[in-house]
Amino acid sequence: MDYLHHITADQHVILKLPSGNWKIVELKPHTSVSLGKFGAFQVDDIIGYPLGTQFEIYYENQSQPNDDDPKNKNRTPVGKVRIMDEDVGGSTEGSELSNVNSSANNMNLINIGNEIQAMTSEQIEELKRQSISGEEIVAKMIESHSAFHKKTLQSQEKYLNRKKRKFAKYFTVEYLSASFLLQWLLEKGDTQKVLDMSEETVAMLLNVANIRSEGQYLCMDETGGLLVYFMLERMFGGDNNSSHTGKIVVLHENEHANLDLLKYSNYSEKFINDHVKTVSLLDFFEPPNESEIDSYFKPIPKEEARQLKAGKKNAYQRRLKWYYNQHEIVQLSTKSQYDALIIASTLQLSTLVPLLAEKVHGSRPVVCYSQFKEILLELTHTLYTDLRFLAPSISETRVRPYQSVRGKLHPLMTMRGGGGYLMWAHRVIPAPEPPAHETEDEGNGPEEKKQKTQ
Amino acid sequence: MDSSVSPFSYRDIIQEGDLALVWISRDNIKPIIVDANHMFNTRYGSFSHKSMIGKPYGSQIAIRTKGQNRFSFIHVMQPSPELWTLSLPHRTQIVYTPDSSYIMQRLNCNPCSTVIEAGTGSGSFSHAFARTVGHLYSYEFHSVRYEQALKEFKDHGLPNVTLTHRDVCSDGFTIKRNDPTSYLFQDDAAQATINANAVFLDLPAPWDAVPLLDQVIARDQKVGVCCFSPCIEQVDKTIEALEKCGWTEIQMVEIQGKQWESRRQMVRTLDDALERLRDVRRRKEEGIERRKQMYDAVLKDDEADGEKSERPQPPKTKFNPFGKGTRVREGDVNYQWKQVTKVEPEIKSHTSFLTFAFKIMDKSRIC
Ligand SMILES: C[S@@+](CC[C@H](N)C(=O)[O-])C[C@H]1O[C@@H](n2cnc3c(N)ncnc32)[C@H](O)[C@@H]1O
Repeated sequence: MDYLHHITADQHVILKLPSGNWKIVELKPHTSVSLGKFGAFQVDDIIGYPLGTQFEIYYENQSQPNDDDPKNKNRTPVGKVRIMDEDVGGSTEGSELSNVNSSANNMNLINIGNEIQAMTSEQIEELKRQSISGEEIVAKMIESHSAFHKKTLQSQEKYLNRKKRKFAKYFTVEYLSASFLLQWLLEKGDTQKVLDMSEETVAMLLNVANIRSEGQYLCMDETGGLLVYFMLERMFGGDNNSSHTGKIVVLHENEHANLDLLKYSNYSEKFINDHVKTVSLLDFFEPPNESEIDSYFKPIPKEEARQLKAGKKNAYQRRLKWYYNQHEIVQLSTKSQYDALIIASTLQLSTLVPLLAEKVHGSRPVVCYSQFKEILLELTHTLYTDLRFLAPSISETRVRPYQSVRGKLHPLMTMRGGGGYLMWAHRVIPAPEPPAHETEDEGNGPEEKKQKTQ
Repeated sequence: MDSSVSPFSYRDIIQEGDLALVWISRDNIKPIIVDANHMFNTRYGSFSHKSMIGKPYGSQIAIRTKGQNRFSFIHVMQPSPELWTLSLPHRTQIVYTPDSSYIMQRLNCNPCSTVIEAGTGSGSFSHAFARTVGHLYSYEFHSVRYEQALKEFKDHGLPNVTLTHRDVCSDGFTIKRNDPTSYLFQDDAAQATINANAVFLDLPAPWDAVPLLDQVIARDQKVGVCCFSPCIEQVDKTIEALEKCGWTEIQMVEIQGKQWESRRQMVRTLDDALERLRDVRRRKEEGIERRKQMYDAVLKDDEADGEKSERPQPPKTKFNPFGKGTRVREGDVNYQWKQVTKVEPEIKSHTSFLTFAFKIMDKSRIC
């Protein structure tokens, strides 16, 4: 399963750029990928390296092609790549600064504008044209920066990072995990498309819903397939050859389910067809009648089917597909008990959940995501009065990121707000009230009759 | 119970010998081994295991308590790692679901993962890992805790967990023949091939264990590590060790998990409040008026008969829109309510800092 750990042709990967931005690309062999101002590289040059590798783009001997073709004028020249051993752009190590003096405090800190930066922008551009790596440009700039040593170590680091980001031509090739896909969408401004869901909230969802590779799950996903991708990754880890039997039944309110984002996944079409079934809400609640299906169509023996003429054969295949599909719908909507109900939908949950939960096995979780706490509040009030739900509660999970530099650990000044909420309950099976010994007396039990003051 | 089936895999019917969780209330969940000869006792009454056997998991079991004849019940749940975390016997501090779920996601845990965990502690996180990953190598240096976890993992049917008795900070993670471990050696192998691609360190000095990871992590893949430490000084030392050992993308975060319960607050309008005040004033005036009449009568007519001399009673409250002076249950249908949320009375404001880092040891190309 090389494609899980190594960069493979025809695979979707996500690239992390020096700017901190992300880019999803499909690695078509013998083509090049342009990263705009960060350069361009040849796909074939990165195939075979471990996923997670950071590459630097460099240009040998004035290799900027002085192409006369006007079409190529705005095209980023394709450079060569080499592996970077030090991670840049993540955390900063103080070591690279050890050969430069720094003032211990910022007493001498002055505005380092262009006057102090002795190199002109032309000189820098020239350096960039010469095959020089971003690191080297920055090193030259420090040399010529007359006031660099007057800065505190901290501001030197900040300066360095800023410059490095500006001139660096490097990128990291990452496995396109569900978390990265989410991050990419958020960065792109598609927050609303994924219902403002955060990584920590969906992580909590996967655990409290007890998602595992053998489960049969009933799901509604209004995030364009992101939730389903998170579930698939948790269940199968991207492995197209997985022998696990888990299945996700996705209910949808439109004619077709929108699982668009799965196009970025590296699961084969066959794999997705085997493990993800889509059924419309109407088919689910008003499934076709089995004898009716059979009255419309009956498969003929394989031998006979094989002997059908070309035109007829196609028509037959289509009807056969329809036939199996109808029977599958009957199976999924009337004969299956599910191992969890997982909903991320803006349909009214207080009417939807009690109906869908009928199909959930006892002791299995019911988990709903909403961007708004109030929606889940209404839902929990409804579920409290329904004895089939045990202890519905609302949870909120937030990650607080820190500046992760030794000696300077502190929470970041800003972080993303939002991230949504979860409702978590268990499907249970109410017992009939036991007969009274003597007189009727509504009393309190360990968990008093539902709908006490809660 | 069929010993080849883990009590943690999906099961439908409560059977003799099963590990089941009895849900009394949200903060009172008790593990039991189902035994037809046993009773489960609560202060509200006794529930026979016999009454559970044969019923589907999730069933409510109800009784009338003898003495007071009250309706009392429990739910019998199938264990899941998350419910286990809420009910397990604590041998140490444990990792709770808001933290463990995030760590699993950041380390991209799935059936293709091989995970190292040290120390095992109470096995809370081990159960969540075991549900999800291909194989878990867990290490514990405290011998009593090691023995307890060994038995527990066996009873819980977790074949994908290897437990080793080891001080990982001094002796590392390599598992050799004759080491105290549950690892099953192939015929001729001298040591276990681990090749972990995710590592979780929940021990006081992770910086001592970090340098020893290179021998057991996968060489040609991106490997993730998470160190779980309550103090910021520990984080600082951990980052130092991680940097020295070539780990990159170091990031520390903290998780805040909150639970909300849904409640109701009575809708009490200004109009009703005013109307009530008017009502009180009216009653008062009526009372004064009546008293005046009485005194007048007494003073004017000394030969008043007995009936007339009785003290007048103020009229009973007529308008009581908020049920003042009576016990109103939250949600009483005779009143109007607004649905509200209330955060739990005590929240976990700090569990630990999570320091993540990643590393690829061998970046050479394969063909
Ligand atoms: C806080 S507990 C771990 C709790 C566990 N993560 C859970 O969720 O239940 C820490 C455990 O690490 C063990 N430990 C500490 N130092 C160790 C070492 N050097 N090698 C192995 N185990 C160690 C302790 O004995 C203790 O049981």
